[in-house]
Amino acid sequence: MSDQKPVNIVMIEDDEGHARLIEKNIRRAGISNAIHHFLDGTSALEFLYDAAEGPVRNGPALVLLDLNLPDMSGTDILAKLKADGSPLRRTPVVVLTTTDDKIEIQRCYDLGCNVYITKPVNYENFADAIRQLGLFLSVIQVPDPDPA
Amino acid sequence: MESSRLSSLGRDTRATRLIFALLALGFAALLMAAGSAFYIQRQNGIDAQRVVHTLAVEASLGAYASAMERMETARRGLIMTQNPRFATIMADAEAQSYDRLKNLVRLVADNPVQQARAARLRAHLKIYADHYRKTLGLRGDDRAALLAGFAADRGVLEVRASRAVVEEMTNAELALLRDREQRQQRTQGQFNILLSLTALLIMGVAIATLLLVRRNLVELRTSRIELRRLNDGLEDVVEARTGELKRANAEIQRFAYIVSHDLRSPLVNVMGFTAELETARKAIAAYLEKGAADGWSEPDAATRLAVEEDLPESIGFIRTSTQKMDRLINAILNLSRQGRRTLAPERLDLAAVLEAIVGSLQHRIDESGTDVSVGKLPVVVNDRVAVEQILSNLVENALKYLQPGRPGRPGVIRVTGGADFGRAWVDVIDNGRGIATRDHERVFDLFRRSGVQDQPGEGIGLAHARALAYRLGGTIEVQSELGEGSTFRLILPIEWQSGEEDV
Repeated sequence: MSDQKPVNIVMIEDDEGHARLIEKNIRRAGISNAIHHFLDGTSALEFLYDAAEGPVRNGPALVLLDLNLPDMSGTDILAKLKADGSPLRRTPVVVLTTTDDKIEIQRCYDLGCNVYITKPVNYENFADAIRQLGLFLSVIQVPDPDPA
Repeated sequence: MESSRLSSLGRDTRATRLIFALLALGFAALLMAAGSAFYIQRQNGIDAQRVVHTLAVEASLGAYASAMERMETARRGLIMTQNPRFATIMADAEAQSYDRLKNLVRLVADNPVQQARAARLRAHLKIYADHYRKTLGLRGDDRAALLAGFAADRGVLEVRASRAVVEEMTNAELALLRDREQRQQRTQGQFNILLSLTALLIMGVAIATLLLVRRNLVELRTSRIELRRLNDGLEDVVEARTGELKRANAEIQRFAYIVSHDLRSPLVNVMGFTAELETARKAIAAYLEKGAADGWSEPDAATRLAVEEDLPESIGFIRTSTQKMDRLINAILNLSRQGRRTLAPERLDLAAVLEAIVGSLQHRIDESGTDVSVGKLPVVVNDRVAVEQILSNLVENALKYLQPGRPGRPGVIRVTGGADFGRAWVDVIDNGRGIATRDHERVFDLFRRSGVQDQPGEGIGLAHARALAYRLGGTIEVQSELGEGSTFRLILPIEWQSGEEDV
């Protein structure tokens, strides 16, 4: 049954340090789901859509997305995920980025982003935000992807 | 371009002056012509009168001569015929002669030479008349003798002399007439020449004036066309420049935005891993504590020092620096964001705006015992938020840099303002610590401050305020003396400058 399938966390983050900090704090919040980390958009999309253990083929997922990526803009990935007919359009996407520009935030929500979190530079706040996200993830219900 | 237009203006003035001079010359020539015409006319009148006079003298001479001849005829008739009727005619003719001579004398009264001649005529006439009376009664031999020597008769001689005098006088009058005619002709000729010259002069003046006016008109038209072309061009140039400025501004905004964001990203790591280090250090320190308590082997002094002093100190420095960097980046971000905010012009009573600002700072004002007074301020059309930010920054600065510790000098902040030539200004005047002259421009630079660094702040406020003021079409100036106080003046356009568009 799909209900029992564990939720995979797909983290698309080009900064390894950020990724490590996010992972650490998620773990500290008691979340033990698998975290798949990708440094660029291309490999992340490949995993999301095509990989055998990826969300399209194999169970529900939650995407943590940074907007500043080396190969493509995070908003492009967001648009692709949330596009009409995409098998992953119901997959929750949490945008986690340094950009706190109002227009950028609005654009992400317009594209279908579920949560937008600004990475605070202050580490206490940062850790706090990620831990709260972890708590949020522990209660969230994630749908299965639509059959491709 | 400017100078050539100016010199053409000068040429215009010169040409106008020349035209006026020529016109004046023309009118002077006209006046002269009219004057000489009047003079000639009068001269002609006088000459004509003289001619008439001469003719009258001639006629009078003729009349006298004929009266005299008539006398002689009558005398001869009387001598020859002894008919007393001739005596009557003689008496009549004598009276007539005297009468006509009197008339002649009156006519030549203006001419002494002719008068002398007329006197001679009278003398001749008198001798003649006396002779006639003497010979009137001659009879017989005497008469025969008279008749025989008639050719040498006194009367005949007198008549001849009289004729000669009359001829002399007539000739003199004729000569005078000729003289006068000649003079009249000469005057007429001079007048003609003068008239022609005047006509030529007026014609010349008219042509010159016309040419000048025509040239002026042509120049005027040319410069009008040029002016229109420049004007049209100017609008294009202004538009192009404005576009360039907007693009440049947008680029700078974007640059600041990207830079500040990309600077932020590594900071997250620095902060994060510093925190992780701290956590790790605490774990090690706790372990060492525990080991010491349990009687395990004591770590050496160097380890203890590293864990308890070196590590926390390093971590502390990294953290403070990172926090400061974060504040600076945030300041840049804020500036860039302010630059992108849409401005909404509205009618602003600056006095009300300042009252609100003073109200919001009331607590600090009371605490520091500062005397704050707001005078009469103008009303402008501008963006409320931006103007509030600028003014509140100026008032806050005034409050911040007072010298509360200085005895005998309570803090005084006065706000005054005014408006003229489309500009409004607000002066925020304090008696605080003031700014050294060399720092007057520096205080407006980003992250730069002046004087003793005893107040919190990043050196952002004034840079931000001035950038905002520029954006609102205004500016901020400072006048200050160290230790005496400062006056910050915000200058804004009274009406909204619609050229501002957001990019």
